[in-house]
Amino acid sequence: MTIDLATLKEGDEIPVSEMTPGAEHVRNYFGNSKTAPPFFFSEEAAKAQGMPGMLVPGPLKVGILYGAVERWLGDAGYVRAIRAAHRRPDVQGRTIQIGGTVARVYEEDGKRRADLELFIVNQDGQPSVRGFGTVEFWDR
Amino acid sequence: MADQSLLTDEIRALVGQATESREAIVSEEAVRRAVGVYGGEVPSLEEGGIVPGFVLTGLMPEGDNIRIPNLLPKSVLVSNEFAIERPLVLGERLMARSRIADISERLGGQFGHGLYVRSEQEFRGLNGEIVGRTASTLMHYDPAGAEERR
Repeated sequence: MTIDLATLKEGDEIPVSEMTPGAEHVRNYFGNSKTAPPFFFSEEAAKAQGMPGMLVPGPLKVGILYGAVERWLGDAGYVRAIRAAHRRPDVQGRTIQIGGTVARVYEEDGKRRADLELFIVNQDGQPSVRGFGTVEFWDR
Repeated sequence: MADQSLLTDEIRALVGQATESREAIVSEEAVRRAVGVYGGEVPSLEEGGIVPGFVLTGLMPEGDNIRIPNLLPKSVLVSNEFAIERPLVLGERLMARSRIADISERLGGQFGHGLYVRSEQEFRGLNGEIVGRTASTLMHYDPAGAEERR
């Protein structure tokens, strides 16, 4: 996707995308970790902890927001920051929607930047993450 | 009766505790793993080329995160974040350390009286400059106190 920096403004939307986080994403997140909690990999272990299923790790949801912002940004710049405030758990294998809006476009330290408000919504339409991001645009 | 503060001197003393700095390399493997987390495209992997900043979240060496004691019977993850000061490049060597950045107390809400513990992983460049940070905040609470509020 190509952003038109000349017209980018507060309120512009980051298109809503869908994703179904699953075991492969979780394996990539934990890599070769020997301390990864078993309830992220085993339905039984998750149920034993009283969870509705194998959850999507919280930090992985930062990655999901990152991916959505990166796709929107394309080659116009880079992602400087992402923050995810967790509202409710997401279960692996269930589709989520990711989107957001441009909150502010500004100049700082001689660079053009934008702050973003982001969200993840679960299959039931409930917000699971409220997110924030900052991107910096390349000098052209 | 008002709750007593949970923020004792012993708990306050945890703030600032940090691990030793260890080397963390922006490697090809780290890039592939990071991209695999969010399902993006692996960039051209040339030494010195710019890589996705999210790589930072997977650079902390295994077991090098600061240990946070169980301050109360239960805990729940409140937030996660990452931030970089400049683009990361493939092959660069950073120095990473983890620390307890802050502990604060909060009354009210769904979980009642709790303690918020913010831990940070800090990544510095060869000249000691901050290149980026990752952070997470855990809320420690007592389910008995939370039940009373329902």
